[in-house]
Amino acid sequence: MMALEDLVVREEEGSKMEIDIKNKAENKLIFIVDSVDVSFLNALRRICTMEVPTITIEAVEIYKNNSTLFDEVLAHRLGLVPLISDLESTESILVPEECDCEDHCPRCSVSLVLKERGPKIVYSKDFSPTDPKIKPVYDTIPLLKLGEDEEVELEAIAQLGIGLEHAKWQPTTACAYRYYPLIKLDKSCEACGKCAEECPRGVLEFDEKKNKIKIVDLENCSMCKTCMSICEAGAIEVMPHEGKFIFRIETDGSLSPEEVLTSAGDILAGKSEKVVTFCKEGGS
Amino acid sequence: MIPVRCITCGKAISAYFDEYKKRTDNGENPKEVLDDLGLTRYCCRRMLIAHVEVW
Repeated sequence: MMALEDLVVREEEGSKMEIDIKNKAENKLIFIVDSVDVSFLNALRRICTMEVPTITIEAVEIYKNNSTLFDEVLAHRLGLVPLISDLESTESILVPEECDCEDHCPRCSVSLVLKERGPKIVYSKDFSPTDPKIKPVYDTIPLLKLGEDEEVELEAIAQLGIGLEHAKWQPTTACAYRYYPLIKLDKSCEACGKCAEECPRGVLEFDEKKNKIKIVDLENCSMCKTCMSICEAGAIEVMPHEGKFIFRIETDGSLSPEEVLTSAGDILAGKSEKVVTFCKEGGS
Repeated sequence: MIPVRCITCGKAISAYFDEYKKRTDNGENPKEVLDDLGLTRYCCRRMLIAHVEVW
């Protein structure tokens, strides 16, 4: 961030944005962002899915395989196995494009050896990685089945890459945002309770004591507007809350959602920095 | 063999297949097993429900 240091940061622009974590599980994060625009959030989302690097098996050298699974099918399956690729374990590994070797070398790759003899089911836990930190996220992924006297012996080469090149390098599975819903109830409401009855997601409830419609689960609203079309008095209105979003990110376990977002923020900052340097120095 | 990942969203569903199969074979309700395993999206759920292990 050297070029940005002497730049006057417009704090008030950034500080308006508010983030509120709603749900957090092992590989899942749901949060509500307020006071942002679609363009920024979409940039972040696209970087999360497409440009955050992870490590995945890229090449497989098969020395022996007389199982019923063809070499290419096996190699394809191996490529889809998510490997732990947090910053700590991947920081010493070079990106293949930056390495000066021709194909792959120990500086830009990690190898995982698999040597098994049937009859058995070979699982992802059977890999013996050369770097103990780079190993499959899940131990229970079935890779292939071996029958009597069937053998498999191979070396898998894992390299860093991004989702733009191949979907196997995407750290995220579900990564999306939607507008925060806004429901307006008008005074002309006749308290017929039809909207609460028709709502497919249980967002509205009819309070018989107060003879009023109540919003019970606003964040579950999908803005289908069924309530609007059923209301004869036209007293209910559903619309997106401008500048407020529900962001949901789920990863395949190679990185945590927080790591993906941090990394995405870094990449976006790096890109912005390039623009700043270009404007100040007239390109490189 | 079950596909390694969900064809639609990319979740590594094959990691849960052994447990799913074991539990449903023991007579548990597939719906409850899937909920318990944390497979909430219907794309991932159909991967396990519709899979037939041929060999």
